[in-house]
Amino acid sequence: MRTLLRFNFLKSRALIFGVLGFHAFVALLAPYLRLSSTDSQDSAALLQGPSLNHWLGTDSLGRDAFSRLLHGGRPSLVIAFAATAISCLIGIVIGSLAALAGGWIDDALSRVIDFMLALPTLILLLLISSFFGQDPFILSVALGLMYASPIARVARSATQTLLARDFIRVARLQGGSRISILFGEVLPNVWRVMFTEVAMQFTWILLAFSSLSFLGLGASPPTPEWGLMIAESRSYMTLNPLLVISPIMMLASLVLAIQALVDHE
Amino acid sequence: MKNLARRVVFSLATFIALAIVSFVGVDALPGDGCTALLGRFGTNAKIEACRQENNLNDSVVVRLKDWSGDLVSGDLGYSIKRDEQVSKIIMPRLRNTAVMAAVAALIAFPSAIVVGLLLGRYPRKRISKAVNQFSVIAMTLPEFVIATVLWLVLSIWIPIFPGVSVMPSNATVLQLLPNVWLPALTLAVVIFAHSMRTMRASVTNVQNMPFVESARLRGTNERKMIKRHIVPAALPPVVNVVALDGAWLLTGTFVTEAAFNFQGLGRLAIDAISDRDTALILPIILFGLAVYLVSSILADSLVRVFDPRLRSSNR
Repeated sequence: MRTLLRFNFLKSRALIFGVLGFHAFVALLAPYLRLSSTDSQDSAALLQGPSLNHWLGTDSLGRDAFSRLLHGGRPSLVIAFAATAISCLIGIVIGSLAALAGGWIDDALSRVIDFMLALPTLILLLLISSFFGQDPFILSVALGLMYASPIARVARSATQTLLARDFIRVARLQGGSRISILFGEVLPNVWRVMFTEVAMQFTWILLAFSSLSFLGLGASPPTPEWGLMIAESRSYMTLNPLLVISPIMMLASLVLAIQALVDHE
Repeated sequence: MKNLARRVVFSLATFIALAIVSFVGVDALPGDGCTALLGRFGTNAKIEACRQENNLNDSVVVRLKDWSGDLVSGDLGYSIKRDEQVSKIIMPRLRNTAVMAAVAALIAFPSAIVVGLLLGRYPRKRISKAVNQFSVIAMTLPEFVIATVLWLVLSIWIPIFPGVSVMPSNATVLQLLPNVWLPALTLAVVIFAHSMRTMRASVTNVQNMPFVESARLRGTNERKMIKRHIVPAALPPVVNVVALDGAWLLTGTFVTEAAFNFQGLGRLAIDAISDRDTALILPIILFGLAVYLVSSILADSLVRVFDPRLRSSNR
């Protein structure tokens, strides 16, 4: 127990990569694992405890909780990857362009970034999802646009530090255009600096989408999604607490492992 | 002073610009107050009559002018869907959220400052490391997970607090109090982690400064050292975070309020969005913007009050 207490969970490299590997394995292979169906309802077996047939029991509609658990990370992961890619693309290009151009372009772009940061993100997402339907594509684009501004801000300051370096000056003296310097010199280097920010962004987007699902405006039923599963099973916590505890453990282990990885680098 | 005036003017301009953008944006959404009221049962004729009655057929510019004129004179508008003045719907909800926010702030901020100070002062103690790990976890997990865990532990396993609140939105403060604890605790966990880590980092930073070293060499005892030298110098960044977290307590509580069915402003916002009650959504967005802008001005001004180095420099 003493050694367990002293063990720093957030700093163990083996543990971090183990957890991330586990999540990658489950998310990629869940459809091929010959699990029971995530949607088939068994009205004779509602809210049962763990058994050999249903390892985590069944939910309030008699669906297999274990199968739903293993599938439950996929929607948020797909959306988080797509939205992070969009926000990086927009954010890094706008941020480094602002720093590279300087002058009034920089001022104008920085104003736009500040403007975007002041917007209430969650309420806008709820609006979009409510009025345009819970479409994964629309939500990815919306999340990507909204989370582009913090990336742009960091990319701008990262580029500004880069610009003082000699190799950029050399490229300029050699007569490189702004665009060629942006793509040839700045972006490859900014990318390396930005890893931490992007990884954090990824978890925020993942959690934003899960929160939306929890509120009933993210993944639409009967899709298995951890946030939605927690919301659906919360009223039955006294009957089968595993229905809530297991998705919480999955979600928590995933975001904590990413966070720990970021702190580690 | 000049600086502050410029910030205020600039924020006001931002507010006006964002208010116009919000109005036009919400207006462009498919559906209006009449379709929200009549729903799928509304025939075209009925919806048209309702629009005529509420002047919804005027052009965007005319309605924007009317709306902003009303807003300046203190009229938040009228919800067709709920058949009530928006201010009458919002005020009790705002009070509920304010009570919850106050409880959360009273729990979190004082303890965060004390714990942050201790952690910064004695970083090698095992308990310090444990608390630090806890705060990383609390900062990473989303509110709905913290809310659900607190509910499971403090309402079902150890039944101390009631879980889902079953109170009308206009309950008295005394009726409100038993229901306020779990949502307030959820919010408190989040802001505690945030402000505690800021305090810890600030204390660590201040401790290595020459004036602390010189005080130590003069033989100042530990208590006086903390009270006179470390805390005053470490507080400014924390004040900044407290102001911004305070704003978040008033405007960022959707998920927590939904998790406990707490009848506050966030819960109302979600209801308004699901009902597509645009007349009600707009003032709530504007309130959030106003709180954000005021708090960021407040944060910077308070830092000036607390940090004498910034006061004299007239940048």
